[in-house]
Amino acid sequence: MKKFLSMLFPSQSNEVILMISIILGILITVSAVLFFTKKIFPEKNLTELENRTKSWWIMILIFICAIFINNLASYICLAFLSFLAFRELYSVLHFRQSDRSALLLAFLAIPIQYTLAYIKWYGAYIIFIPVCMFLLLPSVLVIKQDTHRITKSMALLQWTLMLSVFGLSHLAFLLSLPDLEGFSSGGRGLLLFLVFLTEINDIMQYLWGKTLGKHKILPNVSPNKTWEGFIGGLISTTIIGYFIGFLTPLQTPYVILTSAMIAVFGFAGDVVLSAIKRDKGIKDMSDTIPGHGGIFDRIDSLSFTAPAFFHLVYYIAYPHL
Amino acid sequence: MRKPFLQSAFLKLIYKYLCRPALRYFVGVQYVDCSFLKDEEQFIIIANHNSHLDTLSLLTSLPCDILWKVKPVAAEDYFGNTKLKAKLSNFFINTLLINRHSKREDGENYAMNKMTKAIDDGYSLILFPEGSRGEPEQMSKMKSGVARLLAHKPGLKYVPVFMTGMGTSLPKGGLVILPHNSSLHFGEPTLPESSDPHVIMEQIEKDFSAMVQKYGIKEDEDDD
Repeated sequence: MKKFLSMLFPSQSNEVILMISIILGILITVSAVLFFTKKIFPEKNLTELENRTKSWWIMILIFICAIFINNLASYICLAFLSFLAFRELYSVLHFRQSDRSALLLAFLAIPIQYTLAYIKWYGAYIIFIPVCMFLLLPSVLVIKQDTHRITKSMALLQWTLMLSVFGLSHLAFLLSLPDLEGFSSGGRGLLLFLVFLTEINDIMQYLWGKTLGKHKILPNVSPNKTWEGFIGGLISTTIIGYFIGFLTPLQTPYVILTSAMIAVFGFAGDVVLSAIKRDKGIKDMSDTIPGHGGIFDRIDSLSFTAPAFFHLVYYIAYPHL
Repeated sequence: MRKPFLQSAFLKLIYKYLCRPALRYFVGVQYVDCSFLKDEEQFIIIANHNSHLDTLSLLTSLPCDILWKVKPVAAEDYFGNTKLKAKLSNFFINTLLINRHSKREDGENYAMNKMTKAIDDGYSLILFPEGSRGEPEQMSKMKSGVARLLAHKPGLKYVPVFMTGMGTSLPKGGLVILPHNSSLHFGEPTLPESSDPHVIMEQIEKDFSAMVQKYGIKEDEDDD
């Protein structure tokens, strides 16, 4: 399979190809186990697990195609992910009719932000939403002169944009990082490391919580989250991170640090989005992905780990910029 | 009734392969499976109306084999005020244009007669009994025409459809589409319980208030 993948993606380093093989290997194993469990115990109801696995297949195949086939296509796909995420999040937050023009402007910010990442203009990329949009959006909001609850709209709009566009666009800027000497995987290796560890952390926290979970961690936000799940996830994610550290330019202690940090921020993103869903009285953000819910039900952790991971790696490994 | 081959293929093409992906991925319409409509010989879809997107979303949800025989009922003074516009909407949206202010004396141009004739011809209809597009997320009072039509045609089933979010995407008077997750909720195909238009109207209103209760967007309470 490795040979076949190398033929398919000739420009990718051996490490990246190895990682893709591992991911596909895991998926095939899980699907096979599910298939045989169903054959042996036909009375068991595995529909939810099957749906989830099927969705995983689709998501992973889309991800691999998006990230590894063509450089420009990667940015476009990530921008589209931000678009879906922004649309989904603001749809449940109930903006006012008079916020329409500001919302349209916020949508326009998505291609601009990703273009800045594509042309590798770091200075503009990093201030565009936290500074430019931060000043521009409230200014557009006041033009309508509808002040009833305008404070709420100002705050919500900026926050939504930060979470779904600014945060996620760090995935794209990972691809724009300059080449480091002796590090062949480049931004794609880092991106793969981040996304894989974030998702593994989600799964590990879930599995540890299911098997050992006793002490609830934030019962009023997310009743299924336990200390055992959190700590079990943290430890397993750090260990797995240690073994796939070959995808990063970091030295071992830093690999351990970043992996642990991905686990902590992944948990934070998860519970933050859970809190919003609880506030709005909804179970899932939407029903875009069968078995998972909406886009944000899948990328909630990623929207937190992406900026955290990016800035840590940027600080440690790219000090010359 | 003969299947218009060219129009049917054309509607299939534009709705299934052009409009549906655009609505789904760009505008944010969340489709549900409504292939059960294939089993119904004939029906009237009754929907709430907040946006031009309503008709498009409904048409793109329908199984594409029956698309050609489902006619959205639209206002003649709006969609058919010029000959060209009428021709275009009849071909592309498959509309049944009615005059909202027509009277019984108008004969075959009387709205009720026009709809009855379409039903007799074997077409299914899409009706927006609210008459015109109201404020987003608010339903206005439904007009009784639909109940009279159902009373006139016993045995005809109706399908209530409740949509949310469309009015936020493209409200009345809006010029651009704002992408916004919106959804369609299909009710069961139902036979009217009585032949009295008032009772039928009450039945439809009850169906809708149940759907508003279940799926409607609740405004945040004032907490300042």
